[in-house]
Amino acid sequence: MCRVLQHGGPDDEGIFDDTETGLTFGHRRLSIIDLSHNGHQPMADAQQRVWITFNGEIYNYRELKEQLINLGAKFTSSTDTEVIISAYIHWGMAAFAKLRGIFAFALYDKEKGLTYLVRDSSGIKPLYYCAKDGQLSFASEVKALKAAGLANEADPDWQIRFLAYGHIPEPYTTLKGVFSLPKGEFLCWDQKKGSYDIHSYHVIFNKANIDDAASAKEAIKETLAFAVRRQLIADAPIGVFLSGGIDSSLITLLAEREKKTQLKTISIYFNEKAYDESMYQDLVFKQIEGEKFSHLVKQSDFEDFLPRIIEDMDLPTTDGINTWCISKFAHDDGLKAVLSGLGADELFGGYPSFSRIKYIKAARKYPAALFKLANHSAFDAYRKIAFLTYNHPIADYLFLRGLYSPADIAEILDTDITQVEDVLFANRKLPYVRNYDEKDAAWFEINLYMQNQLLRDTDVMGMSHGLEVRVPFLDEDFVLMAESINPTIRFDKSRPKKLLIYSFADVLPEAIWNRTKMGFTFPLQDWMKDNKEITNESLYKKNKSKGIIKSFKNDSVHWSKAFALYQIQMHA
Amino acid sequence: MPKNIYLFSLQTFSTTGGIQKMVRTLAHSLYHISKKENWNFRLFSLYDSRYDLMSQYLPSENYTGFNNSRLGLGLTSIKEASRANIVILSHINFSLIGIVIKLFNPKCKVWLIAHGIEVWRPLSLIKRTFLKRSCDKIICVSNFTKQQMITRHQSDPDKCVVLNNAVDPFIKLPDTFDRPEYLLNRYGLSPSNEIIFTLTRLASSEQYKGHEQVIKAVASLKHEFPNIKYVLSGQYDSVEEIRIRSLIDKYGVNNEVILTGFLNENELTDHFLLADLFVLPSKKEGFGIVFVEALACGLPVICGNADGSTDAIKGGKLGTTINVDDLIELQDTIVRYLNTPLTLGKRKNLQKECLHYFDEKYYRKNLQKMLTDEQAA
Repeated sequence: MCRVLQHGGPDDEGIFDDTETGLTFGHRRLSIIDLSHNGHQPMADAQQRVWITFNGEIYNYRELKEQLINLGAKFTSSTDTEVIISAYIHWGMAAFAKLRGIFAFALYDKEKGLTYLVRDSSGIKPLYYCAKDGQLSFASEVKALKAAGLANEADPDWQIRFLAYGHIPEPYTTLKGVFSLPKGEFLCWDQKKGSYDIHSYHVIFNKANIDDAASAKEAIKETLAFAVRRQLIADAPIGVFLSGGIDSSLITLLAEREKKTQLKTISIYFNEKAYDESMYQDLVFKQIEGEKFSHLVKQSDFEDFLPRIIEDMDLPTTDGINTWCISKFAHDDGLKAVLSGLGADELFGGYPSFSRIKYIKAARKYPAALFKLANHSAFDAYRKIAFLTYNHPIADYLFLRGLYSPADIAEILDTDITQVEDVLFANRKLPYVRNYDEKDAAWFEINLYMQNQLLRDTDVMGMSHGLEVRVPFLDEDFVLMAESINPTIRFDKSRPKKLLIYSFADVLPEAIWNRTKMGFTFPLQDWMKDNKEITNESLYKKNKSKGIIKSFKNDSVHWSKAFALYQIQMHA
Repeated sequence: MPKNIYLFSLQTFSTTGGIQKMVRTLAHSLYHISKKENWNFRLFSLYDSRYDLMSQYLPSENYTGFNNSRLGLGLTSIKEASRANIVILSHINFSLIGIVIKLFNPKCKVWLIAHGIEVWRPLSLIKRTFLKRSCDKIICVSNFTKQQMITRHQSDPDKCVVLNNAVDPFIKLPDTFDRPEYLLNRYGLSPSNEIIFTLTRLASSEQYKGHEQVIKAVASLKHEFPNIKYVLSGQYDSVEEIRIRSLIDKYGVNNEVILTGFLNENELTDHFLLADLFVLPSKKEGFGIVFVEALACGLPVICGNADGSTDAIKGGKLGTTINVDDLIELQDTIVRYLNTPLTLGKRKNLQKECLHYFDEKYYRKNLQKMLTDEQAA
């Protein structure tokens, strides 16, 4: 398993075996804090009562360490790993909620015979587990469980989910019995009983609402600057991804203020003018010192990289190509960690879905059966309207963000449409209130799109190059603050992300925010259309798929749909 | 013997409230009775879709979710009317369906379930007509509701049968009664806290649940019990959230009250184990299924004395009723419980006693007898 995960931890390897209980922890290390051998993992306390294997970063480890020293704790290293162990020894399970950072770890309490799997509250670091036959196994990537022979059987429904979502939604994977641990939760495995419970470790407290714009701006400025400051901690080289959009420019400019040494930025540009953001990147470059690594990505690079990208993605996805490329460059430029602007669109209403969600509310006034007609639409983009037939929150989400409609999926996979519907909608309860307002849209974006696609892809693509991607907008304290802002202020309708922009009007150049949104997008429609493999109709067995690929070549189908079919046929 | 039994429900699985829980258990019982007797049973649920089904209660062959389609449900009821032997309407809002079925098939027995506030009020002409002409039996979830049916709607007392609700057959019944550590951590509580717990829907439109009274009581008790905490759970709308938060501010109990929001079904039992006392001084519970759930987890209960709650605590055998408008009585009763917390043994005993009355097996037995008698009559 460790060998399979070597790319994410190139610096060290360790194994802990407890022969008595048959427990084994493995670890591959990407050293960022305390680069010495003191950070070797799996790590234990001096009495060897508590063992840990840990992936990620604890941003508040210095504050926690101070508190623990006051409680009488002794430390032998300057790692954050040792702080987790000590926190657990002093506070028990209550320690989990005190951690701020991006993390996934397994902790073994030898005395109690309990093993905890714990995942950060924003779900930035992945953690997959498989519990069967009285045995628990876990890993940061699904492929490690497969390689070790711990789970071999494919989940029979993964293709349906993938074609509907464009990725595999949590908690599912491509393997039967292998699940993703939900964010902010922990799994407690009882060695003696051979059974487990999963619970949230979140602390509930009575929050005060921020009801006026001036206080909201003040809180945003202060909390984001704090998040950027604490996320810059590293003993290894750290940089920033700069796309030229509002969010990454803001993170770059805030990091520039905080960084004691010179800030390194990584950017990408294209020959294709419609996708070229370099003029906006230049605007930010003018305001910062430090090295600027700018990379041209050409169509030929895409052709060269594609097979490796698909191999590195761990689970099928239609996104992540951009992150794979920029992570590769960051790694080649000598960086081990970078900050990214991910998360701002979700928190402050930067996506079209925030205004589109009201259409669902309007559609509810009409008989659901009406929307079935969309299945017969000649225009590919309209076929998704068929999702409005189902009065189900997952269907609402898929109407906003989905790839293929249930009828199309059934045809592509040669299965019954009720089978597709059952897989997508049965037993999936979502805890949200259906007002179809911006708050609901944010819930969808944060818990489904960002969680299942953006964050997963970003982490797996970064780690495939031994690069840790940090996301200050998702710093726990920043998210809590943002969610306590009155929605009418937070989602001011006059401009997407207006509150965020106006909070930093003195930092962000106007040319960056006062323009059409682009996103971190590659010219993939053209590149994939020229790719001989993806467009090779003979690869696709079903006529439906052949037809879709043909339409893709005529530009009447989006590249993500063709790319999804391409990945499906690879597994056939 | 009945051959075809149909149960009509507004909503069974897609949301969770007292009525929904009651219908789930009823459907579960009817399914098992029918299986044993070789009868045909179906559940028709208007607002649920077929994906909402929780298959532990009954298999999909016995269930149809109409996904909001009144027309679909109406047509099905007409289609099935001629075959039906017993139709159970789980809500008075199905009156029209009841009338239509009776019209198509006068031999069919039509039963109504009467819960609480939905029948403790003046009824429309259609509902009155249904009660008078088309309804053969009214299953009242409590004696209080039965009295309401008789006095308000002049229902024939012989038609009204009390069948108290049962404990959900799938609730995780505890064997040990320790406080779950993960919940202590989550809410920042310690073993020395005295914990009062309320679970109810917190809707701005339903101002009778009495949590406001408990907040006031906690405000006065916090001097006597400096470690007192009040865990107030249940889904709330934004209007009610603002109202509750301002109440908490007003009474200075920010450190005492913990507002958790919606509770996941799988953490329900653990919340009952966390607390010392369950308090819901509501004025309008038809029965109060949450009381028997709390008791089944060994948690003592305080409830109101002017609604169906009395049945849930067996007139005082299992818990204590109070006049919900009397704040002093509420406070005194809380104090009495907190001063003599239940030992683990007594909790086990309380659980046993509760199940002695409200286990699903007894519910099923009574229900089966009613079905069989109906046919014999």
